[in-house]
Amino acid sequence: MPNRFGLPDLGVGLGLRTVHYGRIVETQPQVDWFEILSENYMQTGGRPLEWLDAVAARYPVAMHGVSLSIGSTDPLDRAYLTELRALRDRTKARWVSDHLCWTGVGGKNTHDLLPMPYTEEALRHVAGRVRAVQDFLGAPLALENPSTYVEFTESQMPEWEFLARLADAADCALLLDVNNVYVSAYNHGFDPRTYLAAVPYDRVVQMHVAGHTNHGTHIVDSHIGPVIEPVWELLGEAWRRAGGVSVLLEWDAEIPGFEETHAEALKAQRYLGQQP
Amino acid sequence: MKLDETQQWFAGAVMRDAGLDEVDRRLTRGPKLDARGRFDVYRSGYVARLVECLADDYPILKHALGDDAFEDVCRRYVERFPSEAPNLNAYGRRMAETLDGFASDLARLEWAIVEVVHEPAPPPVTTEALAAVPPEAWGDVRLTASKAVRLLSFDHPVNDYFQAVRDEKQPAVPGPAPSSTVVYRSGRTVWRLGLTPAMERVLAALLAGEPLEQALDRAGDAPPEHVTAWFREWMASGLFVGVTPP
Repeated sequence: MPNRFGLPDLGVGLGLRTVHYGRIVETQPQVDWFEILSENYMQTGGRPLEWLDAVAARYPVAMHGVSLSIGSTDPLDRAYLTELRALRDRTKARWVSDHLCWTGVGGKNTHDLLPMPYTEEALRHVAGRVRAVQDFLGAPLALENPSTYVEFTESQMPEWEFLARLADAADCALLLDVNNVYVSAYNHGFDPRTYLAAVPYDRVVQMHVAGHTNHGTHIVDSHIGPVIEPVWELLGEAWRRAGGVSVLLEWDAEIPGFEETHAEALKAQRYLGQQP
Repeated sequence: MKLDETQQWFAGAVMRDAGLDEVDRRLTRGPKLDARGRFDVYRSGYVARLVECLADDYPILKHALGDDAFEDVCRRYVERFPSEAPNLNAYGRRMAETLDGFASDLARLEWAIVEVVHEPAPPPVTTEALAAVPPEAWGDVRLTASKAVRLLSFDHPVNDYFQAVRDEKQPAVPGPAPSSTVVYRSGRTVWRLGLTPAMERVLAALLAGEPLEQALDRAGDAPPEHVTAWFREWMASGLFVGVTPP
């Protein structure tokens, strides 16, 4: 598989969470890599950075953000980008990712990953902003497909087409979250394999898996609990299509101890053909 | 731009329930939920997320007010103070000003804890640095306070209440009584230390950078051996990170 921006396959990693700081720093367990939530280490000069420095000194890390708001019609936040770049340099993060979404307008932040209308106008708008961010960072930005709960009547194309065209137009990387594909497929009634078939895998630098909450009428991407079997199977299929790429488990609610969380991440290896 | 108009509408509906009558026109129905049901995932999540953030910052205030009253306070807070920052580290900083009396004092204490978590806490001033000060100059040295220190005066004994809740003693909400507490971080641990009026006067002077002798004189009638003990404890605890000779 060509391209992938020369970024390495880091193996199977884990989202770094506060409840595991002590265990990780004090005992330095064998973990391929950690993904950090960028904003947790911004606008602070204190304890979060002290933990992060200890982790980044020992493990490869990648940065994953939730407030870039790449799809917003607000101007790009230069102060945010400056801090993001400084954090990347401080941690020697292998790459920086965020979501194909917007988080607010008019200077307000909902702290949610709000859905985009998939229109030609939005495509042009986001592509231009991705290019600007990449120029600022001096590196490719990896954009993640979000979980969504609504679709706009004005949308002109499915998400997978928007994402593929965006990646091409902006020449950016992708973070493929197969749980999000599953969640959105359930919520909107499409076949997740239709989505996977349309992904430009040469741009995928990382994949996410996570648990979710199925309310019957809809699924919420809660990052709670173990990953369900159909999501693992989607991971296996996508990973084979990509020809091998970094994989990461997100677990953000009712987080168990480190051993259990890491063991859940390592289940990925079964679906990647890396262990019997 | 159409995109901007769409986002203005969506954000207004999520944050302020504005334009909810447009949901059916702008959003499609899903396989199992109508458009409004789908949209409400975002609408309910917005408030819940910020209330959860405030509950993380103010666990003792939540205990004191009770779950329902705390939720009401938070909902009003969310309505009054929409977030404008990329993260929620400082989101709850104005809680005390939305409250009165004991609750306001307690919020100030809990916010001080949040603040010192996010301030750098370098190691205490070293014994070598102290030893380098000539004895005759001690009275005129000034100490450099750690940024991870907050000295607070209250109209209620909120630190005692805080500790009692932590100890699962189910304390009653106390009546008014002046109190002082210093909140500081040493290493990765946040500490709260109750202060007598004399201790507060001395510590406030030292944190303000007054010369040592002048600051210690603010102890008034307190026994000198007590003042010496306070000073040693504060130095060892990391409240001060540097010493400047005259």
